[in-house]
Amino acid sequence: MIRISFLLLFLFSTTINAQNKAIGTDEKLIYTASYNMSGILTDLAEVTMETSTVNTSKATLLRLKCRAFTYSKWDNFFKIRDLYETYVNPKSLKPYLHNRDINEGGYFKNMKYTFNHKTNSVKTVQTKKNNWVEEKTVSIGNDTKDIISTLYSLRTFDLTNLSPGTSKVFSILFDRKEVKGKVTYLGKETISTTLGSKVCYKLSIGSANSNTVNGTLWLTADDNKIPVFIKFKIPVGNGELKIKSASGLKN
Amino acid sequence: MKKLFTILALIASIFAIIFSVLPISNLAIFPAVAALIFGITAFYLSKKTGQVKKIIQFSFLLTIAALAITTYKSVFTTTEVLNTDAIEATESKLEEASIEELEALDIEIDDSDLEGISFEE
Repeated sequence: MIRISFLLLFLFSTTINAQNKAIGTDEKLIYTASYNMSGILTDLAEVTMETSTVNTSKATLLRLKCRAFTYSKWDNFFKIRDLYETYVNPKSLKPYLHNRDINEGGYFKNMKYTFNHKTNSVKTVQTKKNNWVEEKTVSIGNDTKDIISTLYSLRTFDLTNLSPGTSKVFSILFDRKEVKGKVTYLGKETISTTLGSKVCYKLSIGSANSNTVNGTLWLTADDNKIPVFIKFKIPVGNGELKIKSASGLKN
Repeated sequence: MKKLFTILALIASIFAIIFSVLPISNLAIFPAVAALIFGITAFYLSKKTGQVKKIIQFSFLLTIAALAITTYKSVFTTTEVLNTDAIEATESKLEEASIEELEALDIEIDDSDLEGISFEE
């Protein structure tokens, strides 16, 4: 058991100090989010993941932006206009500022996280309908990130030498609470995508506390490690995110 | 038994027609297939006794209409995102506010952090 623990520690020690060699500064990935029920797909929304650089007087940062918009046929029933963005260190993807602006079927919420890595704290500002503002400061761990930078961080890890079953726990700050997520490497798999047939790293994503699997992620087994297919569980059927187009890739 | 299948066929065909006019029109296939199976069963059971009720034919009609609408929608409806002006305005406002906030932050990026990064400006 101790031997296995050391082996796992060794395997992940190669990935813990991961640096960004996969994410470009002008990258745009577009996905189609669908609901899959027994093979019948219903397109729900378009999800876009974009990166760009932002210059401040002190530094040049990377802006990670994710948007989810329902297709027009859904707008009269349940309109979603979600925006998530994070300003991060371009190399280590350490977050400095995170904005979440969601509008889901009339429910509005804006959340702003300002990270202070010296004091390991985050100043949060939550705004709801009718300008109801709530400020709160929360303490975080050393490696805690927001959801967007965590998602992008997955691409910076070197997965080439990992053995299937190896897992890593992430701390994510979501809704002003620190939650532990677990990513498990399941092995390589070739899948057919709109970008062609791709050899992918298959990862399962779940909660570290309950050991449940909430979704599966396929990252291309090349230097870009772009997520080409994401499958997640919902009470009836499955949700899917399939890549539609990818541009501005780094490698 | 005949009555049960007739009622089931009618219910399934009503669901099929409702689903077909909603954005989830693709899912209308499930109640439509169920309606056809129940309808055919009810039809044969009725035929044995000699009298086929009009309600079975009506459920067939609804099912066929549902399938026609579903097929039409899946062929001719394009999936596109519209009405993004408001969120784009919010986006640019957020960006301006974020840059202001970032200016006020004490950001230290080591040279080692930026090694190997090339920015396209």
